[in-house]
Amino acid sequence: MIGVLSYLVFFATTASILAIAVLGLNLQWGNTGLFNGGVVAFFGAGAYGTLILGGPPQEGMVGGFALTYPMALLGGMAVAGVMAWIVGLLTLRLRHDYLAIATFGVAVAFENLMRNAEWLAGGAKGVRGFERPFREAIGDGFLYNLVFFVAVLLILIATYVFLERLVASPFGRLLRAIREDEEAAQSLGKSPSRVRLTAFVTGSVIMGLAGGLYGTFYAFVSPQDVLPTLTFQVWAMLIVGGAGNNRGAVFGAFLIWGAWTISGWALSRFAPVEAQLYTGSVQFILIGAVIVGMLVWRPQGLLPERLIVSQQGSNPVNKRGE
Amino acid sequence: MSLTKYMWAAFGLALALIAQPKAGYAQDCTTKIGAVLPTSVDWGRPIAETAQFAVDQVNAAGGVNGCQIEMVLRDTQVDPKVGVDAAKALVDLEGVNLLLGAVSSGVSMPILTSVTVPGGVMQMSCCSSSTAFTKLSEEGKTNGLWFRTFATTGVQSAVAAKVASDQGFKSIAVLYKNDDWGQDMARLIAADFAAVGVEVTASVAINDGQPSYRGEVTEALASQPEALYLALYPAEGTAAVREWISLGGSQKMIMANSLKSDEFRDNVGLQYLGSALGTDTASPRTESADAFRAAYVERFESEPNGPGLANSYDAAMISLLAMQAAGEGATGAEMAAAVPKVTDPNGTPITADTEGFAQARDILAGGGTVSYQGATGDVRFDANGDVSAPAVVWSFNEGGTQEVEYLSLAEVDAFIGSLK
Repeated sequence: MIGVLSYLVFFATTASILAIAVLGLNLQWGNTGLFNGGVVAFFGAGAYGTLILGGPPQEGMVGGFALTYPMALLGGMAVAGVMAWIVGLLTLRLRHDYLAIATFGVAVAFENLMRNAEWLAGGAKGVRGFERPFREAIGDGFLYNLVFFVAVLLILIATYVFLERLVASPFGRLLRAIREDEEAAQSLGKSPSRVRLTAFVTGSVIMGLAGGLYGTFYAFVSPQDVLPTLTFQVWAMLIVGGAGNNRGAVFGAFLIWGAWTISGWALSRFAPVEAQLYTGSVQFILIGAVIVGMLVWRPQGLLPERLIVSQQGSNPVNKRGE
Repeated sequence: MSLTKYMWAAFGLALALIAQPKAGYAQDCTTKIGAVLPTSVDWGRPIAETAQFAVDQVNAAGGVNGCQIEMVLRDTQVDPKVGVDAAKALVDLEGVNLLLGAVSSGVSMPILTSVTVPGGVMQMSCCSSSTAFTKLSEEGKTNGLWFRTFATTGVQSAVAAKVASDQGFKSIAVLYKNDDWGQDMARLIAADFAAVGVEVTASVAINDGQPSYRGEVTEALASQPEALYLALYPAEGTAAVREWISLGGSQKMIMANSLKSDEFRDNVGLQYLGSALGTDTASPRTESADAFRAAYVERFESEPNGPGLANSYDAAMISLLAMQAAGEGATGAEMAAAVPKVTDPNGTPITADTEGFAQARDILAGGGTVSYQGATGDVRFDANGDVSAPAVVWSFNEGGTQEVEYLSLAEVDAFIGSLK
């Protein structure tokens, strides 16, 4: 039974890391209406940033600063944040699908940069990370994975609480106001462009945090980790879970990652031997079908956004939430 | 809220599925091994089929230590997350001590650092070529659990340099696939060409899936090389070579083994490939390699011409031989330690088929060692789990490919030594 437990801990760690990234996207899309098609670029910036800052010196590469772990992780988040700030300044005046295309382009450019910049990121070989933190004290086995999982879970909870409070605050209302009607918000003296940039950078820093944890967990990152598939996966998690609802974002991450892994496992275990070679393709069909089904029958997600009328006036504008 | 109830029900169902024991297989005793390969990719599926073929042969010989082998195959989708998760599931849920795979270095590496080394599982890859593994092993961080049957890029690049120098080329341009293998190859080949006095006039990266490579090809052509070196795969190789020839580039070419494909030959046209020479690490000289080819043709009704097939076969076979040599209930580390016993140059030579495995079992039971004569020659691992291998120089002909020159392991090693 220890095997099952060990695997579940491993699974939950990956799912929690992805959930953090989905929370970041939820702030951008769910609450502010920013269509970020380049999730993987900010995730990757966090992963590369953390490993380059915290890693040991490697031949023929800059980096190897060997910072202590929390510094490296914060550094990775900062790299993601700075990148988001620059990208945001350039692209945030774009709306909807235009913004999606621009950010998607940024993600592709980021992957190509990492693939080619051997001096910076090891090129296609990738960056080998540092020894996992505290490994010497805890050892390498199940206990380590358990401790790491608890740490990731605490970070996930902290991110969740932070975002819940943010969204409930006046700033959160402002985000939704801009999402719903930017001109109305502007007419009330708000500055949509600055608020959009703040939300974009904050969400990206959270994605960078997820990337940093991911790089730490695998002690390795390569251009194969920053392919557009990840953007697609994170979006699928948010759409299925429910955009605009942080609980939905976390739930969607666990559900989709669970479906992704359980379907592979179940097919390898229960499909007949002759069909074994085709399970990979079957899995793609299954997951694609689930997402299409969700979009057709429950586009608001499993846990839809709860609209709150924060000040009950004599004439409530919106009664949908009741 | 009924949704919460559904969630718990789904979670319970998942747990029940995981905990459920495998329903009755007729076999008395089955040992599971794991394989993580990109079966959802067109070239990945034959690699998996070939590994399964080796397993079938071993099972026909009576299995390993009296147990039939069941290879549990998982798809990596060439996604590191998916591959690592699959590997972890194989180790934790299926309890495997031996893992075959993966293909891409970017997937094999995180599996090695986060699953197999911490878990003490032996990992043998057919196809990962990155030099990063050698470095990791030199630092002692693989615990001796890592092996690969894909000869490091060093052998190929050295043989290519030998070909260039034998042909008397003075200058050469390099086109390489822009991935870990291609970048390694470009770096090594530049050094090796320089060592034999051939000038590299240009080294140009080729990205996958572009509609045209005119810009890249023009850049190589502008440097006016006498010949062209190609470290590419068939799809982009075809496109690049067509443009190269249509723009008047030299037909003197040296190709890496990745272009040893009928698809490339047919799509470029044999009439343009008359002076093209390829390098490969496979050894078609040993009887066991012939046996492999014959058996493969009989089983799949085609020549084993895709990338990594012979390597995949050898990876599966050597792993199972090592498992046999390590004895019943061996851990991953014990199996890894037993690998030298089955690839001992002084051991009894055995062939790569059902009879060979049965023969090896008897010899190992008597305390002897064997020298596995595999589909890629007499495989021998160095301290870092890397293989050196005999090499061939080949060219295209009507029926496929023909051998031009054979270099034994000793000759290859001597030539590599002379380059340093």
